[in-house]
Amino acid sequence: MLSQERIKLMTRMAAYEENEGKKYMSIGSYFRSDYMGLQVIKSVISSTLAYLIILGLYIYYHFETFMQDIYKMDLMQVGKSLLLYYVIFVAANGLITYIVYSFRYSRAKRSLRRYYRHLKQLAAIYDIEKKNHS
Amino acid sequence: MSFLLELRDNLRDFYSRYEVYLLPFLKFLLAFGIFFAINMNLGYMTKLNSVTIVLVAALLCSFLPMNLMVVLAGIFVLLHFYAISLECAIVGFALFLLMFLLYYRFAPKDTLVVVLLPIAFALKIPVLIPIIAGLLCAPASVVSVAFGVVTYYVINYMKINAAAISSLDVENVINKFRYIIDGLMGNKEMLIFVISFCATTIIVYVIRRLSVDHAWTIAMCVGAVSNAVILLLGDLTYNTEISIVSTIIGSIVAVLLAKIVQFFAFNVDYTRTEYVQFEDDEYYYYVKAIPKNSVTKSKKTVKKITSVL
Repeated sequence: MLSQERIKLMTRMAAYEENEGKKYMSIGSYFRSDYMGLQVIKSVISSTLAYLIILGLYIYYHFETFMQDIYKMDLMQVGKSLLLYYVIFVAANGLITYIVYSFRYSRAKRSLRRYYRHLKQLAAIYDIEKKNHS
Repeated sequence: MSFLLELRDNLRDFYSRYEVYLLPFLKFLLAFGIFFAINMNLGYMTKLNSVTIVLVAALLCSFLPMNLMVVLAGIFVLLHFYAISLECAIVGFALFLLMFLLYYRFAPKDTLVVVLLPIAFALKIPVLIPIIAGLLCAPASVVSVAFGVVTYYVINYMKINAAAISSLDVENVINKFRYIIDGLMGNKEMLIFVISFCATTIIVYVIRRLSVDHAWTIAMCVGAVSNAVILLLGDLTYNTEISIVSTIIGSIVAVLLAKIVQFFAFNVDYTRTEYVQFEDDEYYYYVKAIPKNSVTKSKKTVKKITSVL
């Protein structure tokens, strides 16, 4: 016989798996440290690219001044300050990424916990149905 | 009111029943509108202006993810920029890439704001977008709103200065590049709009979260007024050419449109607000419950009249 409660639960779970659950399950398959590490690495790559673009635009804009002063410049000092800006830029981006994704990870875990609780409920309903049947 | 509520419920029913067909159709219409607006405003690459290309691109967008529409719109804009000059395309590409790398990697769903804001500017109701972002989105959407304003002003700048940029010395590419960057960076009007729209989004968001009656309506009205005030102050400070009359008319229209959005997204009956107080082992709860406006559908009764001959 059909159990209305079981069908309700299964429908709700199927809807979850189809929508927000899909995103959360892919996050939940990682350990926290792995997930955060991956996101921070992605952030370092994208912020490095962003920094290079900004630097490229800046150099292109001041191209003539650079060409005139290139022999007078202390290249070591310029390199150092460029590196310093790069580190600050990447670190700031990495920090924002860390905060945003740690929040997302804990939200996903919370949501998945609710889903697993529903799974347990479903298993219990099945058990009861089996007993009644036998 | 009950007629409107019934209409809303019928629309919801209709949408949920035919979602499979309606969603692609609406996406098609939106994409067609966006690409058409880009071609109408820029239109420097004549090949792109053909209706066939716009139709094919819009059809593609109708069944592909929403973000592809934004990517295609970006490609359309960049190709038109390329037709003006290579430097325009480089600046545009660098800007779009920076937006993607620094923000949209985090919040890919926010991309639509960037596309819709230039369209709202063209329709003279730009403040509608920060108000709706404040009502429906998270506070981080201010970044999207700011990017949307920048995108509009980049497009607008290229459109106004296309002739001047093309006529600049082809040999001296750096001068051309500098001319574009200087024009964009020195645009005070853009700066005022960025500040004003970011403030509006945050003000609307904060007020609509307050536990006061009619929070949504207060939020959109205060948002629209504060936007007008900031624009006016900015205009007085930097002597830009922001039309205050059109800002005020645009704000009124935007608030009216936002009320329609509110009708669909947040329709509650404040007259039936209930305050409940209870406790459990760990907390005291002070709950304010506001019932949603709803209406029971009028039942159609079919009366059968049979006559016995």
